[in-house]
Amino acid sequence: MAVISCSEVSKKYDDVLALDSVNLVIKKGEFFGLLGPNGAGKTTLLKILTGQIKTTEGNADILGMNIENNVTEVKRKIAIVPEQESPPSFLTPREVLEMVSSIRQIDKPKIDYWIEFFELETMEGRVCRNLSRGQKQKVMLAAAFISETNLMFLDEPFINLDPIVQTKVRDWLVTYVNEGGTVFLNTHLLENAQRLCDRAAIIHKGKIQSLIKMNELEEQKMNLEDLFHEIVL
Amino acid sequence: MNGLIIWRMLQEEIRLNTSFASGKGFYSFPILVAISGILAVTFSDELIVDMGYYEYLDILHFGLIFYGVFAGSLAFFGNEFLERIFGYLGLIIGLPTTQPISQRKITLLYFVKEFIFYSCFTLFPAFLGGLIGAYLNDISVMNLTKFGISLSISFLMGLSFAYLISSLYRISWKTSLLGGLTVVIIYAMSIQNMAISYSLEWYITGDIENLSYSIIIIILISTLATLLVTDYYEQGPIRTIGYNDRLKEYIHTFSWAKFYSNPIIIAKERIDLQRSKTGTKMFFSFAFPLGILTFMNWFIDKGLPIQIDFNTIFYGVMIGFFGTMIYSWLNTIDSPTFYSTLPVSVSDVIRARLFLFFTITWWIPLLFLTLIAYMSSEINLLPLGIVVMITVGMYIVNYTAWSTGLRTNSALFDAIVFLKFFVVSVPPMIAMTLISLAIHYSLSAVLIALSLICGILALFSMFFYNRIETKWKNETFD
Repeated sequence: MAVISCSEVSKKYDDVLALDSVNLVIKKGEFFGLLGPNGAGKTTLLKILTGQIKTTEGNADILGMNIENNVTEVKRKIAIVPEQESPPSFLTPREVLEMVSSIRQIDKPKIDYWIEFFELETMEGRVCRNLSRGQKQKVMLAAAFISETNLMFLDEPFINLDPIVQTKVRDWLVTYVNEGGTVFLNTHLLENAQRLCDRAAIIHKGKIQSLIKMNELEEQKMNLEDLFHEIVL
Repeated sequence: MNGLIIWRMLQEEIRLNTSFASGKGFYSFPILVAISGILAVTFSDELIVDMGYYEYLDILHFGLIFYGVFAGSLAFFGNEFLERIFGYLGLIIGLPTTQPISQRKITLLYFVKEFIFYSCFTLFPAFLGGLIGAYLNDISVMNLTKFGISLSISFLMGLSFAYLISSLYRISWKTSLLGGLTVVIIYAMSIQNMAISYSLEWYITGDIENLSYSIIIIILISTLATLLVTDYYEQGPIRTIGYNDRLKEYIHTFSWAKFYSNPIIIAKERIDLQRSKTGTKMFFSFAFPLGILTFMNWFIDKGLPIQIDFNTIFYGVMIGFFGTMIYSWLNTIDSPTFYSTLPVSVSDVIRARLFLFFTITWWIPLLFLTLIAYMSSEINLLPLGIVVMITVGMYIVNYTAWSTGLRTNSALFDAIVFLKFFVVSVPPMIAMTLISLAIHYSLSAVLIALSLICGILALFSMFFYNRIETKWKNETFD
């Protein structure tokens, strides 16, 4: 079953064509990576798929729903970690998680668990404005993970995280996908993509240049980094 | 190099403005200003007859000084608000953190840029409009040019004063308050028995010494401001710990409002309001225009041959109108970006902020109106003033929310949005002001007229409020 489907999606900012007729289908239970150099269109596509911006042309569906006509309904069923860490400035991490679980109407949210998971206990009583970038990113991840949705969009989630938390997040995401969740990961960290993803697309100059199955790549004894360089350079 | 930096700063300023207002709207602004220039010159004769020649000149220069202070405050203190609305903004003024250029130098260049920017986008278009007006009305172009120079110097004085205050503020807010007051007192003492500024005195008397003084004052203030800028600037201690979790408590408190807006969002916005201490800023931002209004009242009383007595109802209209500022403040507390990750719409957040405006922040206008009524010995007019204030406030704030959403400040930079705002807000205000002036002649007629206008405004308020959902539901937070 397709959980994400894009058909001829284009996005223009003034004269710049950020996305050029993107077609993509992602099935339930996939760990999908969208790879590309800076400015390739990764974040633009993620923003379209999560209802943060609108398409200029084409159609994008999430869980069978057209995004632009069902923004709130789509957002209820997905979790998002945007590129820029931006938790509410004047709330404490716990309050952020309380707010997210209240808005998403989650019964018995595991607030203490996620606070502990991301080692945010020492940040209790501080408002997010006064946290470091890494700590803010942890709050953003906790807000996504607590959401208990089956589809997760992550835009460069490992940036600013220390290696220990990176490992914890990677492990949790693998378990999440093994239990039936779907992950759409935007990254230019190829090592993470190769380690985590089942399938990946390389986007460059707004166009999907290649769709890769990781197991096939391994069978052909090819390296993701070499392929990436071949396409992008 | 300095020229290049100023040029890049100007480009940055224009790009910043066109990023939050439409390019068309931004570039239309000088046209609006030029039209105002034509009108000002065309009607100058009538105004001079009504107000008196010297009062007319004084009031224009006073306005330009305040415009300079306002523009400077926006430039030197505005970045924090921009960052709250749009997230982190890297501006050229921040170059010293990574490049070998001193903070002092870049701040001075920023000040020069501000003067060039406002000269190009407001002073020069106004002067151009004035020239057209002078041509149409057979007024001396030389005289107008001299007057334009005099006004520009007054503007620059206001701008340099804001620059000084910002430099003092880097030391501490107490220093800025003390320093600001000292400068104002010294200046007020120096202009005793003369016009409001040395440049105006030069315009009136033709005495070149006064022109020199006006330029020396600006150089002195801006030099002092520049010298006070240091490269090592540490913020005062900010509270980082000890915040109690209050979200649940506020969600419970506002649960009754669930038919109006989402109590969770209201609770979040309520906490933002409290922890950002925006209430205090709102209070002072009210005091400033009301102070000017009171001054104008006094000035007009002094200048006009007939006695005009602005009463509590008039102030009710004005304070209600200033409700736009409160709504605008509510939109500057924190970036709404996080909401884009949640199943909430822009309209949900607008309604939550309107709810806060109508319930939590009303103490500010109410306090001011009560104070004015008490000082004017018009407590008997206070209930009527409150009704007028609430009606005008609801009307203007609902319109602002409907037309500008969560980006009130930036949207009002757009000339088209501003023009619509002007058309919607000014006619009812003028009507109510005129009616309020007749209160001592026919109370019953005034009551009927005010009730009628209040009724119409209330209907329009509902109309605007109901349209918020349609207009903003599918908009993005981006």
